[in-house]
Order: sequence, then structure tokens, then C-alpha cells
Amino acid sequence: MANLRFTTFACAIVFPVAALAQQSSGASGSGGVAAHPDLSGVWTYAIDRAPAALKKEVNGTVTIQRIDQSARYGDTSAVRGVRPSSPAPSYKPEFRAKVKDLFDHQSKTDPVFYCGSPGVPRIGPPRKIVQLPNELIFLYEDISGDPYRIIPTDGRPHRARANPSHYGDSVGRWEGDVLVVDVRNFVEDTWFGEDGYFHTDAMRVTERIWKDGDNLVWQATVEDPNVLTAPWTIPARLVRPSMDSLEESPKCVETDGPKLLNDDHHLQR
Amino acid sequence: MSHKIAAVGSAVVVLFVVTSLSAHHSISAIFDQATRVAVTGTLTKVDWINPHIMMTVEARSDSGRVDHWTFQSNPPSWYRGVGLARADFVNVLGQTVTVEGVRARDGSLSAYMRKIAMPDGTSLELVNSADPK
Repeated sequence: MANLRFTTFACAIVFPVAALAQQSSGASGSGGVAAHPDLSGVWTYAIDRAPAALKKEVNGTVTIQRIDQSARYGDTSAVRGVRPSSPAPSYKPEFRAKVKDLFDHQSKTDPVFYCGSPGVPRIGPPRKIVQLPNELIFLYEDISGDPYRIIPTDGRPHRARANPSHYGDSVGRWEGDVLVVDVRNFVEDTWFGEDGYFHTDAMRVTERIWKDGDNLVWQATVEDPNVLTAPWTIPARLVRPSMDSLEESPKCVETDGPKLLNDDHHLQR
Repeated sequence: MSHKIAAVGSAVVVLFVVTSLSAHHSISAIFDQATRVAVTGTLTKVDWINPHIMMTVEARSDSGRVDHWTFQSNPPSWYRGVGLARADFVNVLGQTVTVEGVRARDGSLSAYMRKIAMPDGTSLELVNSADPK
């Protein structure tokens, strides 16, 4: 959009890392970081939280405090740069029954319900980005813990001997004003979506992140030729700058599993 | 200090779901939304943990027995999002509160908190975000 601003420098000036780390969010320019927009900043919480509000009554005065879920559910289809998406991935016919079974018993089969890591892309956009000349640092808050990711942008290849993980091995590059992150080398025990979307270790995820005015847009595409008929592009999420600084997530201790008397989880998301 | 259980016939049931990253089980998989309980007693413990905060209330039953009720509620991130912190509850440890919730289907002394009356009279209630009462 017209209000996306960043400055192109003919000659990038290399600054000490410490100075760059203190750079505030917003378009790069004053420091001459590079020819790319600065994605640094703290961003609104973009994962699901309980769909309830708090009604507080003090001395007869009632206030209602709602949770901001716009980053999770806002319609981003008209946002600049957003690619067409579909609500669900297309699995090969032989795997569709498995997906349905996982979904139907999600209360018992979803690792996230039991303090498991959501992994990429399910964790969504980062809560905080620190952009440096040759890498970006993504910080997250999550019930399972507070993961981080290091995204090199200096042209290096994927690590050859990295162990597979929930958040994979990331390599970033710039396509114009869009940061494109290629993520691979995953373990298989995450779902890439909440409806039973299992994957194999062949999964690759491409995240695209850019600024839209003051906001950040995140969109991911999932590929897994072992189980999917085609890449799946997830609806984009738009997150706003946040004044709510990151806070360590309390430990996760799930004790409900043995008490579940049914698989009820539908109609509540 | 006492507790009472009320079967609710046509009450408007507020559906809470404890979400982790994107979803969690419905509380109806554990708690019977039609069986409400109100417990007045001493707040003895606050566990600010994921995926649910947990609080323990010590209350005397009608027969004189001392019961320890466990109330779970939404995740810490939800409470943070509505402006409440662990300290808001820890600060009233040892004081009398009244907690309302829906009781566990297994009959244990546990429930999902939907409302708490604090010692200073402040009332905190989880309501449907789409249509707060």
C-alpha cells in the first residue's frame, strides 16, 4: 500500500550489531541498515485464546474487557501482497480417513492439547522480531514454552547436520520488501494445523512476512508431497504493533487428559 | 463457609474453551455445564500455570467436613489479556472468596471457574465475548 515506506540505500552501511539490536520498529532508514524494510518490533498475540470476556464489577460499576483476537481471525484477503489461500489442505485420498480420525478425537490426539510444541507454521507470526544485518531473531510466547528461531539472511544454505525439530531449520531471503523464510528438517510429531493436519519429515514450509503500513503480515505455505496433493497456502494473519512486552510463559502441566469423558471440542473455536 | 450445588435448567450457558495454541478440549468434556456449584471458603492456593490456572478453596460442607475444592480456569495468557495478574489472586490468599463454576462430571471436588467474588466485593466473571451480559 501507499503508506508502506522504506528507504533504499545505494551503499549499505555496516553498523555494530549492538547498535542495530536497539533499533526501534518501523521502516529502516535512519541507520542505513539495508535496502529492506525493518520488521523489528513487538507484535500482537496472534494465537487463539479462550473466546471469553471478563466482566468486572467494582462498587456497582461494570466493565467488560475483551480479548483482542483480530490477529487470529481478521479477514486479510484484501491486504496488500496476500496470496490466495484455502481453508484446508488437500490430503491424498489414502490419508483423509486418518485426518478425520485425528480431528474427531482431537481432544485426545492433538499434541498441543498436552503441552506439545505447535511448531512451524502452527505457531503463527512471531511476537517479537529483532532484525539484524545478516539474520532475524524470532521470539514467541506459547503455552508449551517460549521458542525462538534464528533466520539467517546472508545467503548461507540450510545446515547440513542440524537435527530435526519442531521449528525446523530456517533460511531467509528478501524478495523485494517481503522476507521469505524456507523452513525444513522437521520432526513428525506436530500438526501444521489444528484439524488433524499431520505431516511427514518431508514437510517444507515457506513463510512470507512483510509490512503493511505499521502492521506486519504473515502468510505460510505448507508442502508435503508424501501426504498432500498440492501445497497449502494458509490464510494470512495481520498483526499490529504491540505495547505488551513479552513475558515468560508459565510452565505447562496438563492434567485433564485422563478426565476427558468425551471428544467434545467442536463449535468452540 | 459452605458450598452448594445447583442444577441449572435453562440457564444461558457460557461456553468456555481453554485454548492452547489454537484450541483445547471443550470444558464440557470434563465439566457438566448444567451442574453449577458455588463455594464460599478460604482461598488457599493459586497455581499460575498453563494450560489452566488453578485455585484451591477450602470450604466447610453442610455436614461440617472440610473440603478442598479445585477450580481451574482459562490460561495465564487469557488473564493477562484481560488485565489480571497472578498477584490479583495471590494477594487474597487466606481470605474468603466465593467461587462459582461448573462441576466436574466425575463428581470430584473440582470445577471450572466462571465467577469469583473477591474479599473487597469485586466480582470477576467470565462471560461470552460475543455477547457479554
